[in-house]
Amino acid sequence: MSFRVSRHPGKQWRAATLLAAGGLLLAACSGPGPSSSSSSTPAGANPSTSAAASSAGGGTPSCGTGPITLDAYFETGFPIYKALTDEFSKQFPNVKWNIRYDQFAALTSNAPRVLASDPPDLIRIPQESELAKDHLLLNLDPYAKAFGWDKWPTSQLQSMRVADDGSRGTGPLYAMGLNYSMTGIFYNKELAAKIGMTSPPQTLDELDAVLAKAKAAGITPIVQFNGGATGGFAFPLQNLMADYTPPSEINDWIWQKKGATIDTPGNVKAAQHLQEWIKEGYFDPDANAMDYATMMSRFIAGKALFMFNGDWESGNLDKQMPGKVGFFLMPPLQADGVHAAMSTPLTIGIGAKAKHPDCAAFFLNWVNTNKQARTVDVQVGGSHPMGPADAYMPPIPSGTVTAQTLAAGNVVAHDNGAMDFIANATGSIYAKGWTPNLQELFAGRQTPEGMLKAVQAEYETEVGH
Amino acid sequence: MAQHLVGWLFAAPAIAFYVAFVIIPLLHTLQYSLYRWDGIGPSTYVGLQNYAHLFSNSTLLKSILNALKLIVFFSVIPVALGLLIASTIRRIAASRLAGFARVIIFIPQVIPLVAAGIIWSWLLASNGLVNQVLAAFGLKHVTRAWLGDFTFALPSVGVIGAWVLLGLCTLLLLAGMTKIDPEIYEAARLDGAGPVREFFAVTLPALRQEIGVCVTVTVIAALASFDIIYISTQGGPGNATMVPGYAIYYLAFFQREVGQASALAVGLMILVLLFILPIQWLTRERKR
Amino acid sequence: MILGRRESLTGRVLLIILMVVTLVPFVSLFVTALHESGTYPTGISWPARPHWGNFVEAFRAADMGRLLASSLLIELGVVPVSLAIGTMAGFAFGQVRMRGYQFAYFAFVLGLTLPYEAILYPLYYQMRSLGLLNTRWAIILPLIALFMPFSIFWMRAHFVNVPRDIVEAARIDGANMWQSFWRVQVPLAMPAISSLAILLFLWTWNQFLLAIVLVDDPLKRTMAGALGAFQGHYGTDIPLLCAGSLLILTPTLVVYLIFHRRFSTALLQGAVKG
Repeated sequence: MSFRVSRHPGKQWRAATLLAAGGLLLAACSGPGPSSSSSSTPAGANPSTSAAASSAGGGTPSCGTGPITLDAYFETGFPIYKALTDEFSKQFPNVKWNIRYDQFAALTSNAPRVLASDPPDLIRIPQESELAKDHLLLNLDPYAKAFGWDKWPTSQLQSMRVADDGSRGTGPLYAMGLNYSMTGIFYNKELAAKIGMTSPPQTLDELDAVLAKAKAAGITPIVQFNGGATGGFAFPLQNLMADYTPPSEINDWIWQKKGATIDTPGNVKAAQHLQEWIKEGYFDPDANAMDYATMMSRFIAGKALFMFNGDWESGNLDKQMPGKVGFFLMPPLQADGVHAAMSTPLTIGIGAKAKHPDCAAFFLNWVNTNKQARTVDVQVGGSHPMGPADAYMPPIPSGTVTAQTLAAGNVVAHDNGAMDFIANATGSIYAKGWTPNLQELFAGRQTPEGMLKAVQAEYETEVGH
Repeated sequence: MAQHLVGWLFAAPAIAFYVAFVIIPLLHTLQYSLYRWDGIGPSTYVGLQNYAHLFSNSTLLKSILNALKLIVFFSVIPVALGLLIASTIRRIAASRLAGFARVIIFIPQVIPLVAAGIIWSWLLASNGLVNQVLAAFGLKHVTRAWLGDFTFALPSVGVIGAWVLLGLCTLLLLAGMTKIDPEIYEAARLDGAGPVREFFAVTLPALRQEIGVCVTVTVIAALASFDIIYISTQGGPGNATMVPGYAIYYLAFFQREVGQASALAVGLMILVLLFILPIQWLTRERKR
Repeated sequence: MILGRRESLTGRVLLIILMVVTLVPFVSLFVTALHESGTYPTGISWPARPHWGNFVEAFRAADMGRLLASSLLIELGVVPVSLAIGTMAGFAFGQVRMRGYQFAYFAFVLGLTLPYEAILYPLYYQMRSLGLLNTRWAIILPLIALFMPFSIFWMRAHFVNVPRDIVEAARIDGANMWQSFWRVQVPLAMPAISSLAILLFLWTWNQFLLAIVLVDDPLKRTMAGALGAFQGHYGTDIPLLCAGSLLILTPTLVVYLIFHRRFSTALLQGAVKG
């Protein structure tokens, strides 16, 4: 492509200026978007929509008996969505699915726009605060009442409640989980045996010792992705944070509680500890160029001892390297300390303007209460279903990673150590705050203190408005 | 009179499309750049604040600097190397080998940029071909994950661009050279000019126009780069490869800062014109 | 002519190096695609047993059949219309040269420098309010408009060099002009038009930015847009990703190799004229 500016620049510049002036004139007329006077009460702001209507008519919301097609927008790369929706259609043949899949990053960026323009019935959402503030998600409280979700352990739904100011933990329910995940450290049993690690480390010191041993034996101690737009070092960092800081304080920050800060002495210690690991060479030298997929393929290929990751990979690992993988929770500072873990529901919301909210809510209830659905959830998804504490659990062969991650869930529940993920604090805190700073920390261009300050500053600009 | 009217009628459909899907959106970009808007809710008029932000925000400023650095790789290297190669192969331009080569070296220009990005992400990975070759030459100590390295990520992206554009520039310049009257070269040789002097005295001046085209195309490719960055680095590590094109996309669609994205878009357009207009003026053919 | 022979030798060596640099990346992609899916091969290394099945698997996994159909639909929407209205406008600006045409032509020529990112968000918003988001129209309509600067520039360059006999014939009326345009001018302009057609075909096929922003469903995108999604979907599996990338490249390469003569000569000459 090329061009030649034509022969009479003088005249044409005048034309161009005119055009530009026209633009400014136009701009002066009215701003884009809905005018501020009539904007703020679309559907969803108002909890008394269809759910209330249908439950008022007696009986719980359902999919009815007529043919119905649910629109859904899910995340690529995880078989659980297909497994659950297929099973649902088997039990309720009148329900068909129209499912669109996208990468998580793309889905995150598209969610607000899709919800505003073309609202699906069910949508995988990363972070409820902004979507709820913009009235794009349906308030699920009426359904919670109708289906009895309000009688489940309150901690399960807490992270999906959003108050008017956008802070999470209290307020109306804006999403439901398909299950809830558990994160920790996966280890390669063969490599562990090689360096004499017979049981998982019980304290952070013991973990440090194992890491040093692996390094000395020429084994990559930790394979962890930290490349592109997703800094996976957030996993070990947050695990270390929970050793030095009570999980509830970390949650306050993630849930945008007033005055919360990530820049605390405890978290500085955690970041310094991570920096020690980096300096000791416990990570692959190309971590800053590694994506999630590469990390998985390297771990599966037996190229590293540890990987910080979540139980959504349990089923996959049981299939790809059966019997060869173990899992343990991040060891606390002292052996009798509290075990904490990032543990968040696989959040699914219902569009504020969805066409079939009742059926969508019925599906979400079914996922967590139906026997087959819970079996699929555990066997395919690898994670613990939501629901009452005494609900049905499918049998899982012992010795599998799935069994270990599920058991770890009980420990975390007992220790009250569940945390949301620090990357979910705001819509772009991951990409604009954590990722660049963790990449700089890895490259030795950022200090632990500087990183936390920078992330806190980014957090404040985002939560500020 | 009728003829003028008919002329405008012929141009009307093209003008209609252009106005509807280029000019009007362009005016909207100008308009949005004066507002603070999340793309969904109501907007607030903020005057030139978004533009001021361009200069105060280090990430955005850095993205523009990065784009300028990319010009070295996307533009200077392909044009310089292209000149060198074209003048070396000028004499064998009619051979069968050259005919075959013409087909081959144009391929990077034909494939999608995203494909080039995927291919090179793989070549530049820690166990990719680039490191394999370096190690084979005993340079194992310089091997690294090129796209994840703060110092080398931007040059690596630049190399991808250079690979894509080198063939185009070489062929364009070669085509220009074959149009030069061989007698001028003969005359220069008779005057005792070596290849170097011949190049500066004969080839370069005659290629003004072709060089102008090459520089124009490649500078736009550098300043407006998006596809390669999206696939290979997404602006990382840190913000080492952040460019305006990707920053606009990210601001508008992830951070939902439509006003800032639009201001940056306007800035990018002005930047492109600031480069292209002088190039066009300098390399314009003298009036026929 | 010893100097000449040495020059010609260095020239040949340089050409071969250039071809190698161009082709080796594709070779690396190809041999990697033959490794067992799920493995993590190194640079260029021939697998113990080539897994040709990877291509079949990638074809199936990427839903390549539907992708091809989608790209072809978009091509059908973009190319003929662009050619028709671009040629008409090129004729108007190059032959008729009606009063004040310079303004319009200048506005188009300036458009040659326009980075697509600059109008991305307004386009998104516009398509949303037209209800065309997530349809192929959201790619087709803006692309036609965005191709106008080059199409008009290109066709005008042709028409400006055609003698103005017809237009200058006394008192020609609109109907006659219309007829002579289609019956005389267009057939004469066929070489320029067909070169433009090939270029527009490739640019449409390779369009990425509009595709990923305006259409969420990869199966309704262009080939290049779908390639981005493919990377996300099969990122775990490097051999499969390489196989899929090669498959997605193939149609463009085939078109190029068939038309390469017309393609490169046209582009090279065309880029400089005008």
